[in-house]
Amino acid sequence: MTDVIAAARAANRTILSEVEAKQLLADAGINVTETRLATSIDEAAAHAAELGYPVALKVVSDKITHKTDVGGVELGVADEEALRAACQRIHERVTAAVEDPQAQGVSVQPMAEPGAEVILGITQDQQFGPVLMFGLGGVFVEVLKDVAFRIVPLEPRDAAEMIREIQGFPLLEGFRGQRAANLEAIESMLLQLSEFAEANPEIAELDLNPVFARPDGAIAVDARILLTSSD
Amino acid sequence: MAVTRERLTRALAPKVVAVIGDKKASGYNWLRSMKEFDGPVYSVQVDENEIPGIEELGIPNYKSLTDIPDQVDFAVCAVPRQVAPFIVQGCVEANVGGVTLFTSGFAETGEDIGVELQDKIFEIADPAGLALIGPNCMGLHVPGLGVRFNRDQPAGVQGNIGFVSQSGTHGMNFSLTGAAHGLYCSTLVSFGNGIILEASDYLEYLADDPQTEVIGMYIEGARDGQRLFRTLKEVAAKKPVIIWKGGQTEGGGRAIRSHTASLASDQAIWEAMIKQVGAVAVHNLDEMIDVVKATLLTKRTQGNRLGLIAMTGGQSVVLTDAFEKVGWKVPTLSDESYAQLSEFFNIIGGSYRNPLDAAGTIGQDPKHLDTIFDILNADENIDAVGMELSATFMARRWQDKPEEFDRLIGSLKKFMAESDKPFLAALHPSHLEEAALTARMRLQDEGIATFPSFERAANALRKASTLAAV
Repeated sequence: MTDVIAAARAANRTILSEVEAKQLLADAGINVTETRLATSIDEAAAHAAELGYPVALKVVSDKITHKTDVGGVELGVADEEALRAACQRIHERVTAAVEDPQAQGVSVQPMAEPGAEVILGITQDQQFGPVLMFGLGGVFVEVLKDVAFRIVPLEPRDAAEMIREIQGFPLLEGFRGQRAANLEAIESMLLQLSEFAEANPEIAELDLNPVFARPDGAIAVDARILLTSSD
Repeated sequence: MAVTRERLTRALAPKVVAVIGDKKASGYNWLRSMKEFDGPVYSVQVDENEIPGIEELGIPNYKSLTDIPDQVDFAVCAVPRQVAPFIVQGCVEANVGGVTLFTSGFAETGEDIGVELQDKIFEIADPAGLALIGPNCMGLHVPGLGVRFNRDQPAGVQGNIGFVSQSGTHGMNFSLTGAAHGLYCSTLVSFGNGIILEASDYLEYLADDPQTEVIGMYIEGARDGQRLFRTLKEVAAKKPVIIWKGGQTEGGGRAIRSHTASLASDQAIWEAMIKQVGAVAVHNLDEMIDVVKATLLTKRTQGNRLGLIAMTGGQSVVLTDAFEKVGWKVPTLSDESYAQLSEFFNIIGGSYRNPLDAAGTIGQDPKHLDTIFDILNADENIDAVGMELSATFMARRWQDKPEEFDRLIGSLKKFMAESDKPFLAALHPSHLEEAALTARMRLQDEGIATFPSFERAANALRKASTLAAV
């Protein structure tokens, strides 16, 4: 699984693509939506046929970190005809928004069944080494900064406590008729991520954002990994 | 080479002490501070101008550590930084157990010469396994042995608080202010730059020290954070640990692209670490003193329901606010409690809801306080008991009629002895601050957890309650 990191190092990159990040995570047994790189529209259509519609398409480029901001994302693409049009739209919007986007293509992934959106992350602390973060996605993490941290390695108790520590925890228990999230699945993912961080000290930053926390489990639908500088 | 436990124990619980380089200009602070030391104290000074003054203090002076006709366990070194490496070399040759380097001007300055000298000291001390404290620190305070670095620090009293401080000032302030709250250290170490021994080493020592019941720490940063994290986990499983983290370190100039990294402030990480290891975080000296006090003097409870005894209606309200604001519940009492209280409670200007507005009832007959305590002890709705002691109303009376104060203390101690429920008192200062302070000192001497405000009492009991009973 270090092949992905070795390839990025060889290309002098510290940012992994979503496809590469998910490959690493899937190899570590972490539940992510299967995501494939397509370098042509025909290839995208082939992947989508295998993965099953509806799919999500996202531009893949080292130069683009915030894909939505440049119009590089199409969600809920229903069939091949829609896919071909969506690929075209992504191409047009991205080339208009970014000068020389150097896109490698698009990533293709099945649309996951939604759930409560949570964020799981890793960062490196100068004193304590790898640190894990948990929070609710969207406005909760970005505006309210309602998150919990733990130092790696985590024990099962730590995973359970950090989920319950955030202010928004009642939302995960099924607030006002929303479906309750599977807390054990989030706890397992946190513990897997703790092992993942220990096994991969070259990971400087990681966001699984969002992870869909559903009654039947948790799945990461987007992943971002930044490697440590090689010097 | 690692410092052995035997070597560390010689340094931190010494039988023979030497002070190197003390002089008149500093008022012989180090030698005078060792005046109460429970064993021989020697001076090492080569300056002929300084020696007569030292001998006038009645302390034998030698020109070299190796001349001392005794095996020195602990030395304090207050020489200029250029000389420090030679002194450390002397300590190694004389087989001194450990040495405090008060001397500063090393890596903390950021100057090349300071860094070089510090490296030199490390190269001498490390292979020899010398228990070197500092440099750039105040060193060691063991009141039970009379080891002090400040003459106002207590001596001849065996304390039970281990304290580890990266800062000399905060260590000194804890020992001085703590003593004014009846809190005494078993062993306190200010370790400064910590080039040989760091926080983790002292924590491990204190965890095994039978005299230490609770551990406090002031820290700004860790050289080996993962070691500190793992050490704290082990130590906090043995004894309550209270941590005051000072300062914010810079996140560094690295590019941050993820939400996780942007939210991972130094403060957030430390707070999480402290929680994760099972310690509790405090944020200033007063809070450190309060939580140490509550940890030592109150029992632990898993519950959060408080029975409150106030002296007036107005205080009942704000006392309740102070406790509920930090997570305590002030519930209604059981029907049985109400039935019992109704038999004797003076409800003219009083109330036996919770909080109990009880001044009139207790004033009528002090035995009523014992009855109230018995009722609260038996009440299953109540996990802990807090009481307002009003200096405004009572301090002058306690001065005039000390037997009334004695009787009050007797009632509090009786409840504390008979009940498993934590008890604490809040004694507000008043227009009679001196009298209130005298009363607080007496309550402390009697082992009653007393706090200068409702808020401080509420917070201290809350934080102490998050510590596992270990």
